[in-house]
Amino acid sequence: MPLLKVRNVTKRFGGLVAVDDISFEIRHGETMAIVGPNGAGKTTMFNLINGVFLADEGQMIFEDVDVTHFPSYRRAHLGIGRTFQIPRPFASATVRENIAIGGMFGAAGSEVNVDEALEMADHYIELIGLTPHRDKPAGGLTPIEKKMVEIARALAMKPRLLLMDEAMAGMNPTDIDKMVEFLKDIRDKEGIAIVAMVEHIMRAVAGLAERVLVMHQGAKLVDEPTQEALSDPKVIEVYLGKPAEEFHA
Amino acid sequence: MIFEQLSGNLLQGVILGGVYGMATMGLSLIFGVLKVVNVGHGAFIMVGAYVALILFQTLGIAPPLAVPVALILGMALGMLFYYTAIKKLLKGPELASLLATFSIGVILEEVCKQLFTSEARGYHWGLDKLDLGFTVLPYSKLIAFGGSILVGLLLYLWFHKTRAGMAMRSVVEDDEGAGVCGINVDWEYALSFSIGIGLTVVSGVLLTMFIPVGINPYMGGSYTLKAFVIAVLGGLASPYGAFFGGLVFGLIENGSYTLFAQIPGLEPFAMTRFFSFVMLLVILLIRPTGLLRTK
Amino acid sequence: MMRHLQKYSPILPVLLAYGVLLGIGLAYPGKWQLIAQLAFYCALGQAFNLFMGMTGYVDFGYVAFLGVGTYGMAVSIYFLYDKGLGIGLIFIGLALAAVFSTGLSLAVGAVALRLRGAYFAIATIGVNEGFRYFVEGARIWNGADGMIFSRHLRKAVGRETAMTLSTQWADILVFGVAVLAAILTLVYMRNKVGYALTALREDEDAAKVMGINVTKFKIIAFITSAVLAGLLGASAWALKLTYVYPEDVFEIHYTVEAIIIVLLGGAGTLLGPIVGALIYGASKYFLAIVLPGFQLLIFAPIIIVIIVLFPEGTVGILKKKIRGTALEKFII
Repeated sequence: MPLLKVRNVTKRFGGLVAVDDISFEIRHGETMAIVGPNGAGKTTMFNLINGVFLADEGQMIFEDVDVTHFPSYRRAHLGIGRTFQIPRPFASATVRENIAIGGMFGAAGSEVNVDEALEMADHYIELIGLTPHRDKPAGGLTPIEKKMVEIARALAMKPRLLLMDEAMAGMNPTDIDKMVEFLKDIRDKEGIAIVAMVEHIMRAVAGLAERVLVMHQGAKLVDEPTQEALSDPKVIEVYLGKPAEEFHA
Repeated sequence: MIFEQLSGNLLQGVILGGVYGMATMGLSLIFGVLKVVNVGHGAFIMVGAYVALILFQTLGIAPPLAVPVALILGMALGMLFYYTAIKKLLKGPELASLLATFSIGVILEEVCKQLFTSEARGYHWGLDKLDLGFTVLPYSKLIAFGGSILVGLLLYLWFHKTRAGMAMRSVVEDDEGAGVCGINVDWEYALSFSIGIGLTVVSGVLLTMFIPVGINPYMGGSYTLKAFVIAVLGGLASPYGAFFGGLVFGLIENGSYTLFAQIPGLEPFAMTRFFSFVMLLVILLIRPTGLLRTK
Repeated sequence: MMRHLQKYSPILPVLLAYGVLLGIGLAYPGKWQLIAQLAFYCALGQAFNLFMGMTGYVDFGYVAFLGVGTYGMAVSIYFLYDKGLGIGLIFIGLALAAVFSTGLSLAVGAVALRLRGAYFAIATIGVNEGFRYFVEGARIWNGADGMIFSRHLRKAVGRETAMTLSTQWADILVFGVAVLAAILTLVYMRNKVGYALTALREDEDAAKVMGINVTKFKIIAFITSAVLAGLLGASAWALKLTYVYPEDVFEIHYTVEAIIIVLLGGAGTLLGPIVGALIYGASKYFLAIVLPGFQLLIFAPIIIVIIVLFPEGTVGILKKKIRGTALEKFII
């Protein structure tokens, strides 16, 4: 049984079809990338999966539960976590409080009280290496630190599916490698399925994702293993006819 | 009898509604361009009412001639408040600009209380009336109605036929894009705020031509409420929507007054005001972006 | 256990402040009215802060909750005075105040709390006026003529008790509301409610994605704040004055005062409303002597100055200063 089943989902804004009749599945514990140029409908797809938008047509089933009409907080309770492209930590709350908020309201939220969530937060703070900043307001951190706080906050939610919006944008190659290792580690230890959204098929995708869903103008172009996608003529066509190898850099 | 009364009241309602619509255009313009809700809106209407009153009583200037004075005073106040407060709060949380415009309203009320005491005042222009048989229309009301339509028309022409107006419209559409195209967005904000306040103060003058009594520093509160009902009727960000919202509101207000007056045991005046509050909640519940908008 | 107590240690400065105030009032009966006024502002600020400070939403019609609370107490005394309930009338009055304010907050909240930011403010701006005109227009409970119930209170509990109730116990009840508001604020801050409110105040969409049912938590804060206001109206206005007129109790200036107090002290902090109330109440008292009628003219520009230059308020600034010191445990 797949973790998430997306069946013929469509989303329109006025006359514009942002997501056009898309179907795919996400399996337990796999890593997948949703790839596509700017405007391909990736962000809308993300927002549909975690309930920021509701689908106009189609159906979404998360572990046997029909979540098509669920608001985002109920999907979070079931185990869908999310990070944003531009990190959005709660600025006035400390790093510890930010991460604890994920713990106390996420999938495990009903069984976790405030004190337990704060203790849990300490574990994640160590994991992301921000212990010296534990009691500082998150608003004052650097962008990379904010991103780490946000990932920790999402992990503290104990998700079974983690959606990462341009997780590695703006990072240098060394940081990307570190992040890939970090995410692989998380996936293997906690059995979380990770769906990363990226603009280009680059080293991060190749290193992390087992499977790639390429979107083009709101529709699904291909859904296949990463290596095949990299040499798929349809994918190359979308990226202005350039050979996919260029995007490895 | 009741139908004659009702049709008379509805005609009065349309005429008053035109002035209400004009009195809301400034609110919508400011929200449309700056995304700031002017919670102190009614206080500027009150300022306009005093402009008409003082000019008439001390210098004998007829109320329509007070309009240019009101416009200049309003635009000056708009510039003053924009550069001292609003400009610094545009990037902050919404709460900040709400509290600031609210405080500006309180400041105006308190200044006027110091200048003119809190006693309610009025003036008597003494124009003739037009008798239509089923209802009587004072010429002053007709002039106020005509004036409102004229102001609305001028605003429309300014927006669509002048460079400055088109620049402002482009800021409404996309302020970043407008900035890239070489439009000074900050100046457009200042100008819109100033014009919005100018229009509102002018509407205060026109409203006294309708109701020349009860002018006092705290009269603005009920106009703020009415303006919000009208603005959400017509779509908060659209000055023309506001104008039509005003017409509809004037009709509903006068119509409901007539009906409430038929029910024994009710105070029709107070019930009408209660009704406008209920309308606000209902519209917000059904469609916060405006009932009259087609989009 | 120790840890549990430590979590709630910030209540100590609050209790200390109220204790000192009450002590001064009891020691100098001539200053009792001033102290009672300060206590009223403290309670008003803390009740208002529980919603505005913690959620970042501003309710411009807030005074309506005090208004309906006043009516709750008034209705109890006016209609039930001859039922032989004695002092029980007061408890029924407080209960009615809570019921009325809950009812109104549910009605307003059902519409307003679905709306975001500016639209919320617009929905609330007419609540006090709307309700005032409803009472007057439908002639509910004597409509615009109001209710005078000093005679009823005397008949129900006797002349002596009635006197003590309105000159002393009404003010002590105000202290009670203030303490209750402070305790609830701290309990919320230390529990999931507080974390949820912080999250939604900072970023409502991100909060939802974290699994926070934002509407639920906004409603909790809104109702709590409204009930405290209702109890405040019942004690500080109804019981103390033994009359109620709709045009007095739905007067928007009390909302203005609540905003000033919370901003002066620091929105979203525990101690802020007390500091704000003392600064505001004391300056208003002296201004009334030196420059009568100028209070709001002086304070309204101060709100703007605070918003532009010191949005954290007094306690917010203080909190930054003492970060990392032992005081941090007590001042939040």
